[in-house]
Amino acid sequence: MASLFSSNPTLASNPSYLFSQAPHNLAAGNKEHGFYPYTDNGGSTLGITGNDFAIIAGDTRSTSGYSINTRYSPKVFRIGGDDETGEGAHIILSVVGYAADGTALKERLNAIVKMYKYQHGKKMTVKACAQRLATILYGKRFFPYYVTAILGGLDEDGKGALYSYDPVGSYEREQCRAAGAAASLIMPFLDNQVNFKNQYLPGTGVGHDLQARQTEPLPLHEVEQLVRDAFTSATERHIEVGDGLQMFVVTKGGIEEKYFPLKRD
Amino acid sequence: MNHLPQAWGRPRDDVYGPYDASYLQSRLPQTHTQSPIVTGTSVLAVKFKDGVVIAADNLASYGSLARFTDVKRLRPFNSKSIVGIGGDVSDMQYLDRLLNSLDVTENYSSTGHSLNAKNLHTYLSKVMYKRRSDINPLWNQMLVAGLDGNDEPFLSSVDLLGTTFSSPTLATGFGAHLAQPLLRKVADDESKVADITRERAVEAVKECMKVLFYRDARSLDRYSIAVVTKEGGLELKEDEQLEGQSWAFAETIRGYGRTQEA
Amino acid sequence: MDSLVTTYSRPAFEDEGYSSDEQQELIQAKPSLSLKFALPPMRNPSAFLRALTDDHANPNCPIKLAHGTTTLAFRFQGGIIVATDSRASAGDWIASQTVKKVIEINNCLLGTMAGGAADCQYWLAYLGMQCRLHELRHKRRISVAAASKILSNLVYSYKGMGLSMGTMCAGVTPQEGPALYYIDSEGTRLAGNLFCVGSGQTFAYGVLDAEYHYNLTEEEALELGSRSILAATHRDAFSGGFINLYHVKEDGWVKHGFRDTNPIFWKTKLEKGEFSNVTANL
Repeated sequence: MASLFSSNPTLASNPSYLFSQAPHNLAAGNKEHGFYPYTDNGGSTLGITGNDFAIIAGDTRSTSGYSINTRYSPKVFRIGGDDETGEGAHIILSVVGYAADGTALKERLNAIVKMYKYQHGKKMTVKACAQRLATILYGKRFFPYYVTAILGGLDEDGKGALYSYDPVGSYEREQCRAAGAAASLIMPFLDNQVNFKNQYLPGTGVGHDLQARQTEPLPLHEVEQLVRDAFTSATERHIEVGDGLQMFVVTKGGIEEKYFPLKRD
Repeated sequence: MNHLPQAWGRPRDDVYGPYDASYLQSRLPQTHTQSPIVTGTSVLAVKFKDGVVIAADNLASYGSLARFTDVKRLRPFNSKSIVGIGGDVSDMQYLDRLLNSLDVTENYSSTGHSLNAKNLHTYLSKVMYKRRSDINPLWNQMLVAGLDGNDEPFLSSVDLLGTTFSSPTLATGFGAHLAQPLLRKVADDESKVADITRERAVEAVKECMKVLFYRDARSLDRYSIAVVTKEGGLELKEDEQLEGQSWAFAETIRGYGRTQEA
Repeated sequence: MDSLVTTYSRPAFEDEGYSSDEQQELIQAKPSLSLKFALPPMRNPSAFLRALTDDHANPNCPIKLAHGTTTLAFRFQGGIIVATDSRASAGDWIASQTVKKVIEINNCLLGTMAGGAADCQYWLAYLGMQCRLHELRHKRRISVAAASKILSNLVYSYKGMGLSMGTMCAGVTPQEGPALYYIDSEGTRLAGNLFCVGSGQTFAYGVLDAEYHYNLTEEEALELGSRSILAATHRDAFSGGFINLYHVKEDGWVKHGFRDTNPIFWKTKLEKGEFSNVTANL
């Protein structure tokens, strides 16, 4: 029945069929798929590292088109926790893009990190987990997970570690990364405020004599404020961002979750 | 290369590819829903302090034709949860059979506890995501209502792409545009749910069913409504009539061929 | 008749949910670099993939993959110089300015990244694994010729599926001396003295061809590699960021910095008087 109708657009939209109005726009060769297996659920995520911490944050709005599905749909998750609350986890993952793929990816990585712990009797390092996530993503190279992932935690030396990914698993360790709908709004802000791009020291001269400001690791409270500023600003200028800000802070003491309301308009 | 004489003269794997046994199993051709034919429209649901109320009209449309007017789109599951289904009706009926078989297997299992609404939603979301990944979707959007493992009100959505989300109020289809803004006036935040009485929630849903009937051309004034609470269990009414309709606003509509006062 | 009976006597809903194989795959901790890939269950998966990801044919395609850009490598008497930029773009968006496009396959083999970033990272990591296995099996280092052939045979088996990579394998072995191969996702594999790959290749070739000869000193060779990338980052919008410079010798490779292009550009202009098309006045 379905195939009968899909090959006949007129009938599908209008059951009172007249032969005199036979469809003339039938494409050469039948359209194979009326189904597009992806959607974009909007939202944005952001991660920043410091000397002894990593922060990953994401807004909690979920959209389809111009509609808001819900005002609270988390994009950041604990990985490798002991139960469904995520207690005991040491790695955080954010996924933004197509939420169903994101959930599938999260659950897959979570299962793998747990299995690693059971089989090897030790926690998976963030470095190993980062490589594993890349292979998971690349495993679907020909039918990609439509998500941009950011992975965070503390490395073997206790330093903040942050890895960012493209949908098919190319990855890089970075100081900071914004992803999702408002990445193009947030990333330039981060370049300037975290990596001090295009900042020069006043009084060091004019023109080519100006000295660039050297980067230094930022303290936690400052980074937290940067994250909040990034999201309040993105909320002002992007329709798919807003409702709430969920923030995960990883330090040697564990993972702390914070929530701040954002504008809901 | 295989040196055994038995293999001589046979098709070689490196030339013809590995032997494929799947050709031996005869199956009917796979049929995929590529676009829905007979469809159901919106499903609405609201959480309140001790439960959830959910409603959907009884219409199955065939394009713009109101074809079947007594189709029940609320599907109870093991007397504790209920699924409201919009979208393709044939896929809805498949889901109905699937849930039936799930119910039967669950009742035979000896775990001693039955699936709650949250478990049911997880199950359905896996089914839907698997189907979309096979490019063979079930063309529906569903709301799952009931109580979770802690007997707290539970309400969540899943659609043909496997996308899931939950909220104090949910509406599918046309209702996502027309009813959801009205329902959010009742509860725009999880924290408000504790203040909503059952009466308030039912009244809001009924009011939205009415608004939808005014403006959704694929809707009907006969509908099903269900309330799930811990005390009362599942109370489902399948043949309700919209009450207190007022078509006075229709007089004020201009355009669509009507140009002057009657 | 029998087929009808088998069709309808199958347990209902057996296809629903994941098979035990698929479930097993979800929890096994081992597989890592394997050759098993999920394909969309469609008649023409590569066309589907292309529709999703080809941002050249359709700038509005939903999934934009990171693409790498100017890379070069050349042989000279002292070994091989490998140099790249560090920009990754997804459509018009600069996805990163700090990409490591020189991939350290092991401590004496280098690969470069142009085209799909994920393809290069994954397959060069896979190549690293194969090279290590070769060492363990044969108790000696793999030749660059063999390593590059593993890679080219591999990508050739995926031809038409949508892989995109243009890579160079550089290494110095006792039997081959300095050896340099170009491999791309079409399956091409070429040995040569000098290659530039990526959207900025023409600009890099311009500088490299003009100054190149086999008897360059180490210092001259490093400077030439860096200067060629600088020229490409200056004229090609899709190249930029940092200059990543490596020197491969017989006892392994040496890294010669990951340096910001901007100060190098101004230094080149102001101290050497090159780039006279650009004004230095404020």
